[in-house]
Amino acid sequence: MSNALEITNLKARLGDLEILKGINITVPFGEVHALMGPNGSGKSTLTHVLMGNDAYEASGSALVGGIEVMGLPVFERARSGLFEAFQYPTEVPGVSLDDLTVEMIDVADDPSAARTRAEDASQFLGMDRFMDRAINTSLSGGEKKRSEMFQLAVAGPKAAILDEIDSGLDVDAVREVATMVESLRSPSLGVLVITHYSRILRYMNPDRVHVMVDGRVVESGGPEIAERLESEGYAAVR
Amino acid sequence: MSHFDQAVSTTAGVNDPAWRSTARSTAFGMFSDDAMPTQDDEIWRYVDLDFVMDDYRPSAGATVDLGDDPLAAHIPNPTVVRVVDGLFVGEDSFAEGFTVMSLDRAAAERSDMVEVALDRSGISADGDIFKAASAAFGGDGVFVHAARGIVAPSVVAIDIQAGSNGTASFPHVVIAAEEHADVSVVVHLRSHVDTEALIVPQFSIAVGDGARISLSLVQNVGYGVRSIGSLHAEIGSDALFRFGEIGLGGRLARLHLDVGLEGRGSAANVVGAYFGEQDQILDYRYFMRHVGTNTRSDMFLKGAVEDDARSVFTGMIRIEESGQKTEAYQTNRNLILSDGASAQSVPNLEILANDVKCGHGSTVGPLDLEQKYYLMSRGLSPDSADRLQVRGFFEEALGKLPHPELATPVREWINRKYETAQAEGRV
Repeated sequence: MSNALEITNLKARLGDLEILKGINITVPFGEVHALMGPNGSGKSTLTHVLMGNDAYEASGSALVGGIEVMGLPVFERARSGLFEAFQYPTEVPGVSLDDLTVEMIDVADDPSAARTRAEDASQFLGMDRFMDRAINTSLSGGEKKRSEMFQLAVAGPKAAILDEIDSGLDVDAVREVATMVESLRSPSLGVLVITHYSRILRYMNPDRVHVMVDGRVVESGGPEIAERLESEGYAAVR
Repeated sequence: MSHFDQAVSTTAGVNDPAWRSTARSTAFGMFSDDAMPTQDDEIWRYVDLDFVMDDYRPSAGATVDLGDDPLAAHIPNPTVVRVVDGLFVGEDSFAEGFTVMSLDRAAAERSDMVEVALDRSGISADGDIFKAASAAFGGDGVFVHAARGIVAPSVVAIDIQAGSNGTASFPHVVIAAEEHADVSVVVHLRSHVDTEALIVPQFSIAVGDGARISLSLVQNVGYGVRSIGSLHAEIGSDALFRFGEIGLGGRLARLHLDVGLEGRGSAANVVGAYFGEQDQILDYRYFMRHVGTNTRSDMFLKGAVEDDARSVFTGMIRIEESGQKTEAYQTNRNLILSDGASAQSVPNLEILANDVKCGHGSTVGPLDLEQKYYLMSRGLSPDSADRLQVRGFFEEALGKLPHPELATPVREWINRKYETAQAEGRV
């Protein structure tokens, strides 16, 4: 299936510690999936390994629209259409969001389309007052997520992994982020929302929910899985 | 026989008033007795001076002129003056209560004024051989003076050029703001890219009570020039001295800064940004003395080195017993961009008072890998990510410059150096 993010038998280790033990997830473009799991299940590692963090020793396959990204350098993965919204977006002092946007537009496949996406997203997300400020510096948790969503829009990826985008947010901000994610829905984009808690899923309509425990996907199904986890906890799937 | 025999020395000195010729001959005595400093001397510890004064000869007069100063073009309506090979070139400029003139002429024609300013913030000839040489052979430069309550009508842009190959020159800039006056000066220190010369620039800054002096120094000499500079500022009650230094050029570029916060409520803001490459040595020796009560100072320097370049920052905040209620901070952050490059960062505090707020921070390290990863995850190539990070690194310092209009050209110069280093595979 070339219109999808297809993760096949993905394994990763950190030194002697095996963290991912063969992950299989397919997110067709046009769909929003949730990946849930308790702390330490390997959710964030999956994000890092997909994006190309070289701290891990990884094997397996990850196709983005049919393009194998495993083995590519980080920036080539991004240019292949993969995007990571960070759980803890890195502060880059002295570099404004505007500076970064200019560079991102520069390296886009179609710079003029990227510029239009930037303008639209800036308006939709109300980014004006953030553009001159240093990236992720002196921003609230909610503002950082908003900035990540803006960058996602500028990048115009095929597959987006949103790592714990609800962490550190109050209820209002969670609802706001969920709305932003739903607004991303498009036939050319697959979204994988990684979350520990099911509360963000109350404000979204994920097409599928995957549950990860101890480095493996133990269950995949419809949104009812999230409801069950909310009432019974992860003990139900262990 | 030495090139620095008094009999064949410089053209300076012909206009000396009595006080100055006495000082000159005393300094010549010191110069004759002085040896080159060695690394055993704490204040020269990190710099191996691999030359002697006689490798140079005194400049015989202004010979080469580099043309219009590109930096002055960024300053709105500046008063432009030029010092070439240590000699003031061009016209003196007078406005009501505000004087910009040749230091040599000022010493002769306004002897009392110059003497008062130098009594306060002159640079002692017994400091080292370069200070002695400057007092003995130098003498010209620029005298900027604002009378009581005068706000200078324009920024003074001083273009100091090391023009002639093989020469030593000793330009001296004296800036005096009387009570409640306000003076703003930008100095561009430059040379032709291939010039080999020694330049010993001196800055004497006297800030009167309630006055303000803002001074930016952009050091942009060629890589064949050694620049050994000194700045001495004395700051009166409720007065403010703002100083920014941009260190770009020089085979050896040293600046010895000595700021005295004498007056009650006096303040100094010192900012710096430097970028070293090839085998440059950039050596900053910054001393902040808190003497008066309720004084404030902030030193903030950011620098990067690549290739085989070295930088040194030695900062000292000394708070005298009398300096109660002082607030003093020093920050020095360094980026190491190549394996062969190095930076020493040595902040010091000496606190004799007991009711003060003081802080210092110092870092030396490579570009941040997390920032790089984040930027690359947005599709930026490793080179673009590094370039953006280097640019961002300097922004904090550029944002604090006393003359914000200099940020644009300085940013461009620094970025160009880094991009060239990337293109040539040095970083």
